[in-house]
Parts: sequence; structure tokens; C-alpha cells
Amino acid sequence: MSDAMPCKRLLMKRDLDLWESSETRAHLVHFIEQLADAVRGRENEQYDLPISASVEALMGLLQQVRGVIERHPVAKKDAPASRFGKVEFRDFYDELRAESASLITGAFPQLTQNQVRQLQTYLEESWGDKRRIDYGSGHELNFMCFLYGLTAYKVFDLGGTDRANLVLKPFIEYLKIMRVLETEYWLEPAGSHGVWGLDDYHFLPFLFGAFQLSTHKHLKPLSIHNEEVVELFADKYLYFGCIHFINSVKTTATLRWHSPMLDDISGVKKWSKVAEGMVKMYQAEVLSKLPIMQHFYFSDFLLCPEGVSAPDNVDRDDDGCSTLEPHMGHATWGDCCGIKIPSAIAATESNRQTNRHKPLPFD
Amino acid sequence: MNLDHTLELLRQGKHIPEETVYSLCLELQELLINEANVSYVDTPVTICGDIHGQLHDLLTLFEKSGGVEKTRYIFLGDFVDRGFYSLESFLLLLCYKLRYPDRITLIRGNHETRQITKVYGFYDEVLRKYGNCNVWRYCCEVFDYLSLGAIINNKIFCVHGGLSPDVDTLDAIRGIDRKQEVPHEGPMCDLLWSDPDDVETWSLSPRGAGFLFGKNEVDKFLHGNDIELIARAHQLVMEGYKEMFDGGLVTVWSAPNYCYRCGNIAAVLEIDDQLQRNYTIFEAVQPQDGVGNAIIPTKKPQMDYFL
Repeated sequence: MSDAMPCKRLLMKRDLDLWESSETRAHLVHFIEQLADAVRGRENEQYDLPISASVEALMGLLQQVRGVIERHPVAKKDAPASRFGKVEFRDFYDELRAESASLITGAFPQLTQNQVRQLQTYLEESWGDKRRIDYGSGHELNFMCFLYGLTAYKVFDLGGTDRANLVLKPFIEYLKIMRVLETEYWLEPAGSHGVWGLDDYHFLPFLFGAFQLSTHKHLKPLSIHNEEVVELFADKYLYFGCIHFINSVKTTATLRWHSPMLDDISGVKKWSKVAEGMVKMYQAEVLSKLPIMQHFYFSDFLLCPEGVSAPDNVDRDDDGCSTLEPHMGHATWGDCCGIKIPSAIAATESNRQTNRHKPLPFD
Repeated sequence: MNLDHTLELLRQGKHIPEETVYSLCLELQELLINEANVSYVDTPVTICGDIHGQLHDLLTLFEKSGGVEKTRYIFLGDFVDRGFYSLESFLLLLCYKLRYPDRITLIRGNHETRQITKVYGFYDEVLRKYGNCNVWRYCCEVFDYLSLGAIINNKIFCVHGGLSPDVDTLDAIRGIDRKQEVPHEGPMCDLLWSDPDDVETWSLSPRGAGFLFGKNEVDKFLHGNDIELIARAHQLVMEGYKEMFDGGLVTVWSAPNYCYRCGNIAAVLEIDDQLQRNYTIFEAVQPQDGVGNAIIPTKKPQMDYFL
């Protein structure tokens, strides 16, 4: 694939079917399962020693992401805005995007220029959508792909301490940063199912968290209803940390009302069953859902399965909500997988003319 | 079907038998098929925004705004998805429509479609409550018959989302064949998906459907159709309502503390005989354990992952 940038390819049901039976997907699922298995029975702080230089380097990179947030505080006075999110998130995103290549090179100087190019899309897309100022499990998946890519490039070694530490160090730090972004910039839940989703923003901390608890002698899935237990274990186990966060955001009702899915799952007898179920659910509800996977990027370490649709359009344009007049200066051409493709405006126009595939709308 | 009994069950968030939903939906289709794409409504009338399955809040809405026995209502759509009681909220409105056909106008929102409800919760809710999706299917059949808009005293245009570059006149809306799943583009899609914004001209919407439109488009539409206000919903407003473009457009939002997390208040807009605007705001009611739990069935398909 050489120097092509990562790009989106899953546009319709047929593509999704090819994706579901692909080796790429199987490898990605296996990667997540390996990490999950590695934290079985461990508390957040029970990482393996020594911590590799690569994990430390990634922690340093994440520290710099925090720095970017700090440089773009939300203005005190509330500008009138029709949407819920804070527009300063866009400045954060722009700076992160401008810096992403140097952040990666700085942390991992051993990577080639092309490897950095492959990785940077995933890092940039890990924090939410710039235009809509929202975040969901699809963005979270990008961070997993970033870790997957670094592992594919032999930066991490799953044969050693990295295996458990990837979750307990960088993933937990990523989650902490996401909490800051979610609360600072009021990120909207992307494609929220409201009470009918597992969580407004995340999936993987529930998955990893259930594995952490799967050997616990006393804590039961039902314990999420006990506020004292939740508070006590919020910093020790990802699953309880998530419940704690939800409780702190949704104060006017109990889990039974605002999170019926988590309520259902709390009825499962054993955490080990919850853990197994989370893997199945992740595959069905995230990796097999077109509204999410239409935004998934393929690259030279996450190969696009044979036969799926050719790249359709670029929706990484920076212009925000451009006008429809092509002469207004927005009709630039992007480069994706080596194929010249039109900008979003031109793509919309051509979609209109040829009635080609249109991505599922967001709401 | 005993309408009063069904209404009573709905107000308590209790289970409605599948056959009842079936016959209710059938009757509603027969009723709605005779309504125009743009319904005529007289003042005084109360305009309500998104509900999103927040049944308790919908009951508060009726309580705070006079109730359906005394008041005429227009609902701007998005009855379902995201909330715990999408089904009950929608059925309650259908029952009222059946009981008081001239007092309730139901406009279609962008969530009243098969594709969107499969993604954003209503489908999952029905599956969880009934163990199959029949009831969802019946409701979707009704969605196809909902009006696209309403016009109050020929002066106030009501729609879920907003304007469309393909629609200059109300007659253009009257010409649409509405009895279908909402298309991915074109005038019917735009009416349900578009948003007002601070833009010079028609612009792409970040939603991926519909358009953004600005003061120019609103002024042109108001002038061209000799109307003075566009009332729409579709976007969360922290204060419950928000007027834009020198009062030429208003967004009304009727789901307080949306999704239990937004902390917003809700509003309805009453239009009196002089076309004066009176806003009533209301807050979320606290849901309680032990109320409505009877509807949670033993069949929970999502749980299959964890068996």
C-alpha cells in the first residue's frame, strides 16, 4: 500500500459483510482480546514492572495532549451557540492535528515517515469529531487502532510487560483525558441511543473493566447499584470508574432509569460472563454497525478487505460548514489511497447528480 | 380497543398488549391519511418540540399547558428514540389524536423513520419490552402518514427541522408524496433535518442530511408566503426556546434534562388569537423506582450476549 493515507472504505451493507469475515477484523478483535485477557484479575495500579521505554514514551505523548487541552480553555462567558458543545474543542483538535506527526516522531523516533503518516490519522481521530463536537465508541476505536498500529510496527511487544500495561497505563490515561475533554468541552455523545445505549461515550472500559473483575471473589455485577461500593472501587476498576462517572453526570435518577442496559447486565451472575458478553457485544454493537464503521480507517497495518467500495469522499475537510458554491474557494481536491477524490462539497454535488451512496446521517 | 383504558395504562407507563397497538396504529393510519401535508390549524394553539420518549415530562407538559381537554396542540415531531418510554409517549399522542382529532396535530420528525429508530433506541426499546419488533413495525407504518408541517392562521409555519432549497412555497410542500420512508435527500428530507444557523446562504449540514439556512433564506420564505414566523424544533436549546433572525424563527424544545444529562429546561409556545407568543417553561420530573417497572419484561434480548 506504500504511502497512501489511511482512508474510510465501509460505505454500505455489502462492505460491512466483507469486513465481518475479514482477517483484518479478526486480528483487531484478537488484539483487543489479548489486552483484555492481560488485565484479568488486576486492579488499575497493578501493572507489570519494568514499564517499557515505549509505554513511557506513549505516556509522555499523552501528557502533551493534556498540554494541548490546557492551551485551549473554554472562554468564561458563554457564547450563544445552538449546539451543546464548546467551540474551543475545534482549536484543540486543530492544534492536535497540526502536531500529531511530530508528537508521534518525538515519542517513537524509530518509526519511518510513512509509519508516522499511517498512525497519525488514528491519533487525530481518537478524541472526537471536530465539526460536531461529539465523541463516541468509534473515536475510542481509533485509539485502539493507534495502539494496534504501534504494536504492528514492533514499538510494543505483547510478549512482555506491555501486554497488560497497554491497558493499565496508556489506555487508562487516554480515558482520563477523554473525561477532561467530555466535561471541559461538553462533548455530545456521538449518535447517542439515549438510555438505550451502554454508555453515552465509551465501550472499552466496560469490556476491560469486566475482565479486571472476572476473578474477583466478592464483588458481583449487582454491586454497581451500591453507591458506597462504587465509590470505593471507582479508582481500582475501570467498570466501577465508569459507573461512578455516570452517577456523577446523571444525578436525577438511578441506573435503572437512565441506564437500563447496565441495569440488565448487573443481573448477570458472574463478572466472567459479563466479560465474555462484552466481547460479543462489542463485535456486534460497534464493529458491525455501519453508522460507526462507515468512519473506520484502513491503512497499511489495518488492510482493507478485497472487494469493498472504493473510497467515496473525504470528510476530513477543515472548512466546517462550507457553502455549496464550488467557486467559493472550498472545492479543493484531497488525496486518499493515492486516488484523487473530490472535496466534501464536490462529493455532495456528485452524489446528488449520480445518486451514489450517501453516508448515514448523524443525529 | 378501549381507548380510555389504554390511555390510563399509558399514563402509568404500563404494558400495552400487542393487539391493542396494532388496532390503534391501524385506526391512526385511516385518520392521518386524510390530513394534508401541511395541516391548517386555528389559534389559540400550543406548539411543542422534541419529546424523545420522556413520558413523565410529556405528562408534565400537558399538565402545565392546560391539557388536551382544553387546549389545541401541535407537536413538532421526534416523539421517539433515546428516552425510556418512546413507545408509550408515541401511543399516548396517538390515543389523544384519536380521541380529539381536531385538537392534536402531529408533525413528523427526523426520528420518525425506520432507519433512524433502528439506530437510536426505539427499536431496541420495543424489542426489550415485547421480545419482538412487531410493535415497532406498526408504529413505523404510522410514521409514514404523519404531516410534514402545519400552518397556523395562515401566518405561522410549523415544521420539525427547517427549510429546504427545493421548497419556496407552502404549495411546494403540499405537492410532496409524503407517505413513504423519509428519503435521504430532497425536500421531504430537508424539512425534517435542516437547521438555522449564522450562514449567508444554503450550506452543508454537519448532520449529513438537510441543510443549514440563515436569515436571508428565512426572510425570503416569510415574505414569499406572507407569514410571520417559522416554528421548529430539532435542536436542543438549554433555555427551552430560542428566537432567531429578528423573531422570524423560533426553536422550541420540550424534553427537559434531555437524556438525563443535559440539564436543560423545556418549553412550549402558546399562540393566542392575536398571534402573540407566550412561552411556558417546565423542568424535568424525577422518575422513581417502583413506578412503571411493571413494563420491564422478563424477555431481554440484549442479554443474549451475556448468557
